[in-house]
Amino acid sequence: MSADIAIRVRGLATSFGEQVVHKDLDLDVRRGEILGVVGPSGCGKSVLLREIVGLQAPSAGEISFPYHAAHGIEPRMGVMFQDGALFSNLTVLENVEAPLREHTNVSPALRAEIASLKLAMAGLGPDAHHKKPAQISGGMRKRAAVARALALDPELLFLDEPTAGLDPIAAENFDRMTQDLAHALGLTVFLVTHDLDTLHAICDRVAVLYGGKVAALGSIEEIAADATGWVKDYFSGPRGRAAGRSAAMG
Amino acid sequence: MARAAAFDLVERDRAPVLALRGDWTIDTIAALEADLRVIGEKLSVNAVVDVADLGRLDVAGAYLIERTMRAFVGGAAIQVRGEHVNAARLLEAARKAGAGPAPEPAGPRGLSGFFEQVGRAVDGVVQETLETVSFLGETLSVLAGLALRPARIRWVSVVHVMEIAGLNALPIVMMLSFFIGLVVAYLGARILGDFGASVFTIELVAFSMLREFAVVITAVLLAGRTNSAFTAEIGAMKMRQEIDAMQVIGIKPMEALVAPRVMAMVVMTPILTFAAMMAGLFGGLLVVWGQLGVSPAMYFTRISDAVPEQHFWVGMAKAPVFALTLAVIACKQGLSVGGDVASLGKRVTTSVVQSIFMIILLDAIFALWFLEMDW
Repeated sequence: MSADIAIRVRGLATSFGEQVVHKDLDLDVRRGEILGVVGPSGCGKSVLLREIVGLQAPSAGEISFPYHAAHGIEPRMGVMFQDGALFSNLTVLENVEAPLREHTNVSPALRAEIASLKLAMAGLGPDAHHKKPAQISGGMRKRAAVARALALDPELLFLDEPTAGLDPIAAENFDRMTQDLAHALGLTVFLVTHDLDTLHAICDRVAVLYGGKVAALGSIEEIAADATGWVKDYFSGPRGRAAGRSAAMG
Repeated sequence: MARAAAFDLVERDRAPVLALRGDWTIDTIAALEADLRVIGEKLSVNAVVDVADLGRLDVAGAYLIERTMRAFVGGAAIQVRGEHVNAARLLEAARKAGAGPAPEPAGPRGLSGFFEQVGRAVDGVVQETLETVSFLGETLSVLAGLALRPARIRWVSVVHVMEIAGLNALPIVMMLSFFIGLVVAYLGARILGDFGASVFTIELVAFSMLREFAVVITAVLLAGRTNSAFTAEIGAMKMRQEIDAMQVIGIKPMEALVAPRVMAMVVMTPILTFAAMMAGLFGGLLVVWGQLGVSPAMYFTRISDAVPEQHFWVGMAKAPVFALTLAVIACKQGLSVGGDVASLGKRVTTSVVQSIFMIILLDAIFALWFLEMDW
């Protein structure tokens, strides 16, 4: 059973001085699923992501990777930060090559080919290869960031607000790309978002963070069905209803 | 643990079969690249990939297989034999996405490229100079506008900058100047002493500190300390679109950011220069007193008798001009920052280098002019 769990969080607590962000938080992410993490601003979604990938130490509790532990391998993670966080003095292609250059010894030619393959998978053509991040649009930057996150073929992909700041069509395309990649590459995706359309369209399960804990966990229909308090407001507000309708029709 | 990637090329049913073994992942494929190039020649259109014994496979591994096969099967799907968790899916993904990296855009090369670069650099200097001069004009016209309507002056900003960039620089300016005064006096006492003229050490210290050293040291120090800070502050605001937000709200960046900095610098630099002069003279006094036995009272009497007051004013007159130059260059460079981090670093460097260059140049012009005027 535990072999199917990619990420296990137990008894996690985080506090910054007086301010308590997480309190005794438990969460299991299954292997191969796209888990959407939602919650009000400031509820610690991004902090949870940072703790899982190891950028920040929790105050208490533990984070483990049961599947990888059972198979004796190190979990490999790719992270896409909110505005891409591409290295601004490197070109797009060099950005994707950077992890390969650092961690593998493939030849420069093959490295460039693999990087361009990852960019193509993320939907960026050769036009963008030699541009600097400042010269391309926000949507393209996000795609390049996903390509960089996928450079080393991680099993775990973390996306922080992937569709924030994109127009609805670009956001939809991005969602579809995420889903295609997750299926084609067998990724486990941990997706922090505010975008209700994303939740409806591509997330297998949704975790609602509220009051420092996982307030609800399940498929979006299950959560919406017996929602109370903030969760209810979130899913049955005008935006929530519209996203649900369009997902049902689509 | 990852197993090493390997392959066998065998012939079955009169078709070449590429039988894969081990893990084909980004960590293992580096060793295979050369081998795969060699066997490429032995494959033919009806080649088959056997994945029955293949371990783990990722996109990079799939790409390498796909690249080897592509030369023979063209764009068509690769024939796969055997069962594997994700081989068929990944090979398909690699085939669909497959596009090589774009060639690097050709930069200027050779002799003409060299001249092109020199031309661009010269043009850049000319443009930069024109822009700075026009920014100076804009600043002066904004300052003139503010002089007519003093209510629009942002006094809080002015006083804040005066403290941060002026008052807080006082200890370091005085300390540096003190040591320079000390060194000048020490050298004077030694070298003039060889000619039996060591009494002129006092004049040497007073002339050099009042006319040149105090103001130039102050300005160079401010160029390093304040210009970098101004350019980085304004540049970061530009990058985070704060300047755009100001303009939309109706706040003029020239009035809110540039004018207070220029005004504060023009007020504070003469004060710092005066402090530097005093510290330098004090440094000289210590040496003269210790080495030549001249009493402090004697030292100051000698200075007021032998050094005309005009030398003090020559030094002080340069201070506001240097201050204006520094502040204008710092603000101009800050507002020229583009969207990326590299341009911030470049502009801060330019700001400091340009202002030190301008101070030395202006000082030379002043020196010529004042000497020709017999001041």
